[in-house]
Amino acid sequence: MNEQEKLARFEGEMLPLMNDAYNLARWLVQNEQDARDMVQDAYVRAFRFFSGVRGETSKAWLLRIVRNVCYDHLRKRPIHSSDVELEKIPDHSSPETELQSKSDIAAVRLALSHLPEDFRTVLVLREMEELSYREISEITQVPIGTVMSRLARARQQLADSLKQMREKDLV
Amino acid sequence: MTCDELHEHIDPFLDNELGLAEAQKLQQHLEQCPNCESLYTSRLAVRDALQKPEMRFLPAADLSDQIHGELLKQIRPPARRAWRLPSFEFPSWVLPGLAGAAAVLLLWFGSTIFLTANRTSDGFVATVTGQLVSDHMRSLLGNHLIDVVSTDQHTVKPWFAGKLNFSPPVYDFSDQGFKLIGGRLDYLGDQEIAAVVFQHRQHFINLFVWPKSESTGFFDTSLQKEGFNLYGWEANGLTMWAVTDAAPDTLKTFVDLQRQKQTGTEP
Repeated sequence: MNEQEKLARFEGEMLPLMNDAYNLARWLVQNEQDARDMVQDAYVRAFRFFSGVRGETSKAWLLRIVRNVCYDHLRKRPIHSSDVELEKIPDHSSPETELQSKSDIAAVRLALSHLPEDFRTVLVLREMEELSYREISEITQVPIGTVMSRLARARQQLADSLKQMREKDLV
Repeated sequence: MTCDELHEHIDPFLDNELGLAEAQKLQQHLEQCPNCESLYTSRLAVRDALQKPEMRFLPAADLSDQIHGELLKQIRPPARRAWRLPSFEFPSWVLPGLAGAAAVLLLWFGSTIFLTANRTSDGFVATVTGQLVSDHMRSLLGNHLIDVVSTDQHTVKPWFAGKLNFSPPVYDFSDQGFKLIGGRLDYLGDQEIAAVVFQHRQHFINLFVWPKSESTGFFDTSLQKEGFNLYGWEANGLTMWAVTDAAPDTLKTFVDLQRQKQTGTEP
């Protein structure tokens, strides 16, 4: 397989997964430009080690690389606080009918963006990417039991903070 | 099923990861227990909210073109060798370091790679060593060299402990002319590896370390690649690679110091 053929095979297999890769990166690094950089880095890294032989699915393999690149980036960033601020979220200028569902989504986004990285990761992989515990375990490199307990704590924490936001009338 | 058991199983139940028998027991409990029923309802609400398509972020339309462009550069050697040195964000000591063109990369590798190198795996070896040299070059650009800046081995070692599932040896050899200046995480493929960074006069040494793979047998391998000297060895269940553009005997001195320390002092 020469380099051109390798590239064609790689892109055929991996580029369809770009939206998934971007969604994970965007939720982890929390801004658009960094997320783009992360996805690009991950693809370059994946290409170097692409052989077509793997013990996991293409999606799990790629997302594992994306997750590692993002975590590496987050560790190097001096400030870990999220760029999203509580005050910024509700925009009540929309028509009555849309208000409810729009602000719900804003609230959930906000709550999720404030969860610890490990919790955000499992929720994105499970609820948005619809991956199995086994795949999530491969991506995050922790045992399945840990995936399970992280999901439980992440959901609980998310439910709690949504409840808090409603009580404080933030949304 | 008790309430405690239900709490333990509610998430795998929700995720269809629970066995049929357990799932039936859980279902029965839910029908009789309003408290657990409300926990379940709350979990469902969270899940439904997260699964809304609006929760996903979509990339801008040009991202795939940009990635394709980057990938093309990977298969065009001249483009890849065109190292651009950023004109800013340079610590003052990096330039002399580059000018001196002296750095040691110590790489702790999956050790079978080089030992089993033969015709069929030449391409793979080239990929790996290419990446190491590339990691090394990258480490000297911008502010990439060090994540934890410290000349104290008791600061650097614990820093790694929180990030890797193995413990790289970290010693300072200032007295012998190899000063510990920090550490960082790097990659070999998608595996995270440790890089311990030393300075010898104007030269930098990256010591790359990772757990030795099962089928091992890689000892004392010295080689040159693209102007760098590399030295690999194994000790205490770890594989290490040193790469430098300093003279081979300088590298050997450094490696010997490392090995003396590691023998007997690490489990």
